[in-house]
Amino acid sequence: MGFFDKLFKKNEKTEAAPAAEPKAEPVSTKASIQAEPPKAAEPAPAPAEKKECCCKEEPKAAPAAAPAAATEETVGLQAADLGELLPGAPAGGKIKLAIYWAAACGGCDVSILDTNERILTIGDMADIVMWPIAADGKEKDIEAMEDGEITVSIISGAIRSSENEHMVKLLRKKSKIVVAYGTCACFGGSPALANLVSGADEILDYVYTKTPSSANFQADYHADAPVIPQTSYQAPEGELTIPVLYDVVKTLDQVIDVDYSVPGCPPLQETISHMLKAVADFAYNGVALPPKGTMIGVTTKTLCEECSRKKENARITKIYEPHEVDVKDGVCLMDQGILCLGPATVGGCGGRCTSAGQPCRGCYGPTEDVQELGASMFTAVASLFPVLDEDPTCGEDEIIEIMKEVKDPLGYFYAFTLGKSLIKRAVKEKGGQ
Amino acid sequence: MADFEPRIVAFCCNWCSYAGADGAGVARLQMPTNFRIIRTMCSARVDPEFVLRAFAKGADGVVVLGCHPADCHYIGGNYRARRRVALLRMVLEQYGFDPKRLKLEWVSASEGEKFQKTIVEFVDTIKALGPTPLQKEAN
Repeated sequence: MGFFDKLFKKNEKTEAAPAAEPKAEPVSTKASIQAEPPKAAEPAPAPAEKKECCCKEEPKAAPAAAPAAATEETVGLQAADLGELLPGAPAGGKIKLAIYWAAACGGCDVSILDTNERILTIGDMADIVMWPIAADGKEKDIEAMEDGEITVSIISGAIRSSENEHMVKLLRKKSKIVVAYGTCACFGGSPALANLVSGADEILDYVYTKTPSSANFQADYHADAPVIPQTSYQAPEGELTIPVLYDVVKTLDQVIDVDYSVPGCPPLQETISHMLKAVADFAYNGVALPPKGTMIGVTTKTLCEECSRKKENARITKIYEPHEVDVKDGVCLMDQGILCLGPATVGGCGGRCTSAGQPCRGCYGPTEDVQELGASMFTAVASLFPVLDEDPTCGEDEIIEIMKEVKDPLGYFYAFTLGKSLIKRAVKEKGGQ
Repeated sequence: MADFEPRIVAFCCNWCSYAGADGAGVARLQMPTNFRIIRTMCSARVDPEFVLRAFAKGADGVVVLGCHPADCHYIGGNYRARRRVALLRMVLEQYGFDPKRLKLEWVSASEGEKFQKTIVEFVDTIKALGPTPLQKEAN
C-alpha cells in the first residue's frame, strides 16, 4: 500500500468516526491531571544580556552600536546593529553576493527583504550576481566566473532535483563562502517529508494521475495511457530536457561543503542581521569570519530556556490542537496539552510562536549535542503522560493505546528535520523465510 | 535466506536485566549469539536516539530489557521507557519497519531463563522478518 493510499484510508476513518467530544469545556480540568510540585530551588532567570549565542563574532573593532542592543531587556538573540557597518562600498571594491533557491518556497528570499531599508545598503556593499527571485544573473554568468570569485553564496532550500544539485555544486565552486540559509537547506525542512513515500515515481504518479483535477484531465484526454512528464523529449528541433526529480530529498550539506548554517523557517531578521554583520565586518574591517560550521543565530540551549511561558510540569492524558482549546497566557503549552517542540528545539528565535499561543514546530532544529530532534521529543512526550495506577499491571498494548494519543509522531516531530534524521527515509520490509 | 544471521542490539538495565543476562551465562543456558548487550543504568537511559541509531547503523532488531513494573531501581524509569518504546514502535511503523523489530521485555536479576527465552524468541522473530529493510545510502 502506498503512502497516499494510507493517507486516504486514514481520512476516511476519521470521517466515519463519531464527532469529537465537546470543545467548550475549560482546559484546566482536562489538561492537567496531576501537577508535580515545582522544583525546590528554582534558579533565578539569567539576565538577558548573558544569553549566549553561537555566532561568536563578538565585535572587537565594531563601532558603538553593539552595547545598545545588549542592554535591551528581551530574551533570545539580539539584532546586530548594521547601521555603522555599511557606509558605501568597501575599500577593496564591492563583494559579490549570490542568492539561490533550491527546493524552497521562496520564504527565505522574502526574509532577506525583511532587512527593510538595509537591503539598499546591502546593495552598496555587494554586487548581487545571482538571485533568481529578484535579480537578473543567469547560470551562464556564474559559469563564466572564476573559481572563488563570489564572496558569499546564500543558498536556501533542500536538494531534490538534478537542477538543484547542479546549481549548488556550481555555486560552491565559484564561492568562497557558502551559507545554508533556512531550515530546508540546513535540515531538509518540509520538502524532506517527501522521503516518506517510496520515491519520485510515486509522487509523479499521484500528482499527475490521482489528484482530482489531474485524474479528470487524464481520463478525458489520455484514457489509455496517462501522460506523466518525461525528463527528455525528442522534438524535431532536437532533444528537450527538464531536471530529474530525485527519490531522496537531501539537505545542502549532504551534497556540498557548507561553511555556515542559518536555521529558521524563515530565519528571523535578528539572525539575518548577525549573518550580514559577520559578512560586513569581514568585507569592511577585515574581521575574521566565525569558525567554519558555525550555526548562526542559535543559542546553546533549547527554546524552553527563552520561552515566556511558565512550566508547571503538569501531566496530560489528552493532546489538543491549539484551535481546540482556549490557550492560557503565561502557562506552558505542554501543560495545556498542546504538543510543543520547544523542549527539543534549539533556542535563538525568542519563542515567537509560543508567545503567540502557537506551539513550536521545531524549525530551528536540534541542539548541537543531539542529532535527532524527533528522538529528543519522544523522550519529552513520553514523560508528559502520567504514570497511572494500573501501570504496574497493564500490558504493552495498553501503553500503545495511551501513546496513540500522539497522532502521526513521525510527521509531527520530524516536520522540519527529517532530512537530518538518523533513518532519513521510508523503508520497505521484504519479508524473511 | 537460510543463512541469515541477524544482528541484534540488546539494551540491558544495570540492576535487573544485565544481572539476569549474567545469570543466564552462569547457568550455561544455551542461546543464539546474534545479540550484543549494551549495559545502561536504567531502561529509561535508553534514549530513543540510541535505538534509531542502532537501526540506522544496520541492526536487524533492537531489544530493550528492564526491571519489571513496580520493580525499577529508580522507581519509575521503566514506565518512561515503555512509553518511549511505544512511541518508537509507532514511528518505526511509519517509516515502514515492522514494529516487531523493536521489543521491550522485563527481565529481573533472577530470571536467567527468561532472558534466554526472550533472546531465542526474538532471534526467531527477526529471522522470520529477514534482514533490516534499511539500505545503505546509494551514493
